[in-house]
Amino acid sequence: MSPTLSSDPLSALIPRIAGGDRAALRQLYQATSAKLFAVCLRILSSRDESEDVLQEVYLTIWRRADRFEAGRASVMTWISTIARNRAIDRLRARGPLALAAQIDDMEIADKSPGAEARLETAQSVEALNACLSQLDARTQGVIRTAFFEGVTYEAIALRLDIPLGTIKSWIRRGLLKLRGCLEP
Amino acid sequence: MSQEPELPDDEALAAEHALGVLDAPNRVLAERRMAQDFAFARLVVAWRYRLAPLADRLKPIEPSAELWTRIERALPANDNRSLRLWRGAAISGLGLAAASLAAIAVIVLQGPLAPAAPPPILSAKLDTAQGQHLFVAAYDPQRQAVVISSLVPPGTDPGHVHQLWLIPADGKPRPLGFVPVGASVRIPLAPPAAGLTDTQATLAISVEAPGGSKTVGPTGPVVAKGALTKI
Repeated sequence: MSPTLSSDPLSALIPRIAGGDRAALRQLYQATSAKLFAVCLRILSSRDESEDVLQEVYLTIWRRADRFEAGRASVMTWISTIARNRAIDRLRARGPLALAAQIDDMEIADKSPGAEARLETAQSVEALNACLSQLDARTQGVIRTAFFEGVTYEAIALRLDIPLGTIKSWIRRGLLKLRGCLEP
Repeated sequence: MSQEPELPDDEALAAEHALGVLDAPNRVLAERRMAQDFAFARLVVAWRYRLAPLADRLKPIEPSAELWTRIERALPANDNRSLRLWRGAAISGLGLAAASLAAIAVIVLQGPLAPAAPPPILSAKLDTAQGQHLFVAAYDPQRQAVVISSLVPPGTDPGHVHQLWLIPADGKPRPLGFVPVGASVRIPLAPPAAGLTDTQATLAISVEAPGGSKTVGPTGPVVAKGALTKI
């Protein structure tokens, strides 16, 4: 997964943001905020908290644009990682109650017109989806649950009433297969 | 498809940390390891990037129309990098910690005895090497005290303490006190330390055995640090 600069239309914005260009940050916000908001909302199930986190995410981008490593990830991958990490941090700060959070069925493949064009990550998304689909359904399920809910091995084991060791081995095997599939 | 039967230990830990399935003590260990071991940190980041496209299956949802205005208002008045450094800590919506910090700053500024031009309050956001905020701090030169809030989830790693250090321009760390996990604390500074607390100085947190470091500097790993800047 090393997207080239030319395949990433957002990457031209990053040096401008690093140089203090607000219009560039605004452009990035317009192109990506609905995606990142969906990530935060999926994790936090609260619009208010998700907007707080989203604000923090764009301020982080503003402050750290000079540290973006174009060779390692696309802009979308970089900022969605920031959004997910911040949202999970916020979720964990709520304490043990977070484990009771309801799972909304928001995970729908984005087929709206222009979605693919908007996302320079389309390629890496396809690759990951293809690789995920090679895993059995329950392994896919636990990996997705962990990704969106920041839940620990223990919490997943309790929730599914499956021994901890079994959950660990499903996830570890799944991750190993993913790596092998993504980087053959 | 890979023929390896298992991920190597480091890689498994990195992947698990990136996915977020580690329990709190192991998460702290992984964070600490990331702060000290560059190769391990790269592994974690590579896994975060590998998994990130999962988020892309979500249907975009528009945040409220006024959010951009809020963000823009939180950007510094002057687009200058040195000014920009403090912004995250001061007004980035870090939640309760930042809100209470702002409240404290306001209370201090509005104190009845405040002279016309009080010395500026300094603030610092203490980040891990990966940019995760762990603490926010403010220093009031008039009252010679640091107020610091820990954003570490309560109950994390009860076997260790978080020790706060001042690293002034001379580079020699001075111990200031301890910061309870998930709480805010006011730490008065003795005059020598207070005299060294300026925009040349950095605040840092090390993870120590109970009782703290017995030597002249941190014994345990420094997990977070941040420069003091004018609010």
